[in-house]
Amino acid sequence: MNIESRKKALRYFFAKVVEPMGFKFTPDAELAEFLLEQEVKLEAKHGVPFCPCQPIRRDRSRDMKIVCPCIPFHREHFDAMKRCWCGLFVHRDVTDPNSLPQVPAKEMGIE
Amino acid sequence: MKKVSMYTLSTCPWCRKTKQFFTEHNIPFKFTDYDLADETTQDKIMRELDVEGVNGFPFVRIGNQAVEGYQPKRFAELLGIGSGAE
Repeated sequence: MNIESRKKALRYFFAKVVEPMGFKFTPDAELAEFLLEQEVKLEAKHGVPFCPCQPIRRDRSRDMKIVCPCIPFHREHFDAMKRCWCGLFVHRDVTDPNSLPQVPAKEMGIE
Repeated sequence: MKKVSMYTLSTCPWCRKTKQFFTEHNIPFKFTDYDLADETTQDKIMRELDVEGVNGFPFVRIGNQAVEGYQPKRFAELLGIGSGAE
């Protein structure tokens, strides 16, 4: 497997999914490259590009909710944070992704 | 000093930042990389996190307090130290 070519393919596919939801890739290029590389490796190991920052539980119904881009399964939470949990995607209007902390859904009053 | 322990993922940059935060503040800590652990350990961690309602990593315990996510200000607050700069 060529990691760089797969990263490029995931970028192309992910953009088509997240842009209609008002998200874009983080402007932090170094972070985006690192996360995409982790996802390529997770995909090679597990068959799907899981989120690098959420645990795989070996429970299909729960694990499917952390396949990238997992925004649709956590929409209210991620919209409130203006980023996804791992930070690969941010709201379209975000220019300073480092200003957006990770905040658990329960701390934002979201179930 | 409060005991610090954490569950992390080897693939997660925020888990790395969390470890870096405690290292830079000379706070000793124990950690388990969930994804590198055996299945028995993973199941034990998941039962613990399900009780806490935790979904994302890093998960940090500082004394008897728990923090989900990379939250340096919260870490500093719970440790009673000044610098929680992001």
